[in-house]
Amino acid sequence: MTELADLTPGDRVFAASFPVSRADLAAYAEASGDRNPIHLDEAAAKAAGLPDVIAHGMYTMGLISRAVLEWAAEAGLDASLGEFSARFAKPVVVPAGTGAVVDVEAKVRKAETGSVELAITALSGGEKVVAPARATLTSN
Amino acid sequence: MLNASYAGRTLPTTGPVAITAESVSRFARALGLSDAASVPPTYLITLTLPAADPLIDDPEFGLDWSKVLHREQRFAYHRELRAGAEVTCTPVVESIKTVAGNDLLTLRTEVADADGLAAEVWTTLFVAGDPQ
Repeated sequence: MTELADLTPGDRVFAASFPVSRADLAAYAEASGDRNPIHLDEAAAKAAGLPDVIAHGMYTMGLISRAVLEWAAEAGLDASLGEFSARFAKPVVVPAGTGAVVDVEAKVRKAETGSVELAITALSGGEKVVAPARATLTSN
Repeated sequence: MLNASYAGRTLPTTGPVAITAESVSRFARALGLSDAASVPPTYLITLTLPAADPLIDDPEFGLDWSKVLHREQRFAYHRELRAGAEVTCTPVVESIKTVAGNDLLTLRTEVADADGLAAEVWTTLFVAGDPQ
């Protein structure tokens, strides 16, 4: 069991790695209703000036949320997400055969009584794909 | 270029939309979440983006969706929403900024259920300007 009060700024709280395939993007497009062809079709992506199909920014943010939720569940934290934000800095490029990998890592940015703010990085293909995302967890 | 006079405008509140258990579990599974019953943190985007359709489709506003990139996203959760809830969305054009010939459009959408404001969702879109 981890308590929010145990966390100190600078602590590295989790790292997670997620493979991303074209099929994942197709499933996300259906589930979210965002069927922009730059996330599904190589020709459409290239016509838009992109190197290849790219993941939805919201798919990447969804993976980050998954990493936060999995960590919180594993740590037995009794806390809820109060705020969650991300700035999409670079696209996650997803080639047809190999797919991509998104590596997520979180550190404690601020710790106050009853709440903790995480700064979360996400890397893919050697690029930082988000300016650090922020997630604030508040004790239930 | 976007019509900057739209800054500050509130769009019509949508009719009540149900957060169905089916849409929640499909969204959760698409992200690989093990809990397919709770509403995922980013799920609300599936309601707030369609709520902005009247703005996206308004020829007077001048938004060309093919030039749009999602730049920033923020959620503030005021209360837990559960599958089965019915919510309305009210988008507000929070700001329109022009930077080096490109536009940054920020929408803030209020998501409310029968008990009032449940969440706020900010979406910032980068809209590429016409090449000079």
